[in-house]
Formats: sequence, structure tokens, C-alpha cells
Amino acid sequence: MAAIPDRIALPRHRDLEGRAGGIRWRRAMVALLALFAVAGLLNVFGQRPENTTVAANGVALRLHAPDALRGGLLYQASFTIKPSRTLSHAVLVLAPGWAITQQINTLEPSPATQTSHNGQIALGLGSIRAGSTYTLFGEFQVNPTSVGRFSGDVTLYDGDTQLVYMNRTIVVYP
Amino acid sequence: MDIVLRGIFVFFALYVLMRVIGRRELSKLEPFDLILLIILGDAVQQGLTQDDYSLTGSMLAIVTIAVLQVAVSFLNYRFPRLRPVLNGEPVVVVQDGKPIDRNLKRERLTLDDIAESARMQGIGSLDEVAWGVLETSGTISFIKKSE
Repeated sequence: MAAIPDRIALPRHRDLEGRAGGIRWRRAMVALLALFAVAGLLNVFGQRPENTTVAANGVALRLHAPDALRGGLLYQASFTIKPSRTLSHAVLVLAPGWAITQQINTLEPSPATQTSHNGQIALGLGSIRAGSTYTLFGEFQVNPTSVGRFSGDVTLYDGDTQLVYMNRTIVVYP
Repeated sequence: MDIVLRGIFVFFALYVLMRVIGRRELSKLEPFDLILLIILGDAVQQGLTQDDYSLTGSMLAIVTIAVLQVAVSFLNYRFPRLRPVLNGEPVVVVQDGKPIDRNLKRERLTLDDIAESARMQGIGSLDEVAWGVLETSGTISFIKKSE
């Protein structure tokens, strides 16, 4: 029988005395990693679009977009407006979070006007007939360095009159 | 600044990941393991530099990881008590030709793995082995019985 190799201590390296903590730590970390992957599956870290609908003053506004995002993601959002009365000058106002956190690659159909409304982005959509459906599609890409929670509020006006307001937060994970 | 912070996070995340995955999985590079490593590298790169294609950005990432690697290596050298945490410890898996089942189970090693490693070191039978030690690098070293 050969001698015990140098710097091998049988109690520690063969009988694993005092090393039970190591295996418990490893198992706990494996469980944590598995939980992280499961959380990703459950959309905790975003990307899956959700529908948010608000209705008031004879108008329904539905937003189809993810609430949570990650840096660099390309995604699409759609704003659907269904008025039960004709809107003569529909204006969709987006909170700064829509532009601070991300690039707005395109908006289709292109809004008739794009102005600032108290520091927010105001998109003039023109007239929308009662009973019709107007959908504005937006293509976005999250800035890779954006991290945190930003206001993603959406408000619909008819001229200067506020019709519906959607309170929303955009969460961006690194 | 962002790339340096990402570099620090990625370094420690990978360090923990590598320690958790287990040494054996890291040491064997079968074709599938090689593909997984390439995929892992690609996934890490995207999170690290993202859309920054600049030379400065890549140098920041590389230098951050290199500095951390040297720092961990220094800690490993300077503070022996940290070595089991940072580097792991060897595990005796064969003694006097007999596999130690409890240790094999702990390291998720099969007898086939042991026999394969032995063959790669020119050992045909475990009966020839006095000690088999799973090293911190993930390789299994064998010490033959005295003639």
C-alpha cells in the first residue's frame, strides 16, 4: 500500500469531516439557480406582453405591452382606442419613461403630430369615429444601460380634455 | 462604468456558478460540453458588453475580469483559510483499489468515470490503484500501488 499522498489528510479529504457545510451550500445554490430559471419561466423578468385596459368617458384604451423588460430587448407595443363617441382631436400622451428607457424605433401609423405635453410625448392621432377601432403600433428597443422603474403612464385626450388615464410602471432589469 | 460593474457581476456570478456546477463537469470537455461552453461564453458576452462594439468597451471588460482573477488568485495564495471556499478541496475517491461510494455519490461520479480516468492514465484495473484523488481542477489523479 502506497503512502498517503502529501497534503492529503484522510479525515478531511476521505472521510469529509467538517465538509458537510460545503455540500449543503452547493445544494442550496443549485436550488437558487433553479428558482432563478423558474422565475424567468414565470415572466418575473419580463418580456411577455400583458393587456391593460382602462375605460372612461366613453372611450376604452387598451395597451398590449410587457410591463417588465430587460436591457437591449426589442419589443412591440400596441395602443388600441375604441371610442363610443367621435373624438375630433385624439391625442395620446406617453410618460417620459417610454422614451428615457428605450429607443422608439417607429410608430405606425405615423401620428399626425408629435409634440411635448408638460414634458411628456404627445402624439396627435387626428379624428377617430365613434364605434371604430384605432390601433397605434410602436416598435421599441430598451436601452442596454437602462435599469430601474420608470413611469409608463398613458393618457388619452380629445383636444385639451382628458378622457382616460392608464397608470403604469415600466420595470427594466439589467 | 456600466461595463466595469457588469464585468464584476459576471465574474462573481460565473465564479459561483462554476463552483456550484461541480469540478468534474468542468474538467471533461466532451463535444456536448464544448458546445455548452461556447453557448455560455456567447450568452455572457451579450450581457457584458451588450451593444457596445468599441475597443474601449471590450478592453474595460477584459481588464476588469483579469484584475478580479488576479485578486482572487492572490486571496487564494495569501489566505489559506479561504482556499476551500475559493478553490475547493481534493476528495479521495479510491483507496487501495476500492472506490469510496459515499465520495463518488457526493461528486456525482460513476465507476465508469473512474475507470475512464484510470485508463487515460494507463491504468487498466483499479486493483492497481493505491489512491485516486479527485483534484480541485476536476481531474482524477491516481497513485499506483507499490510493486
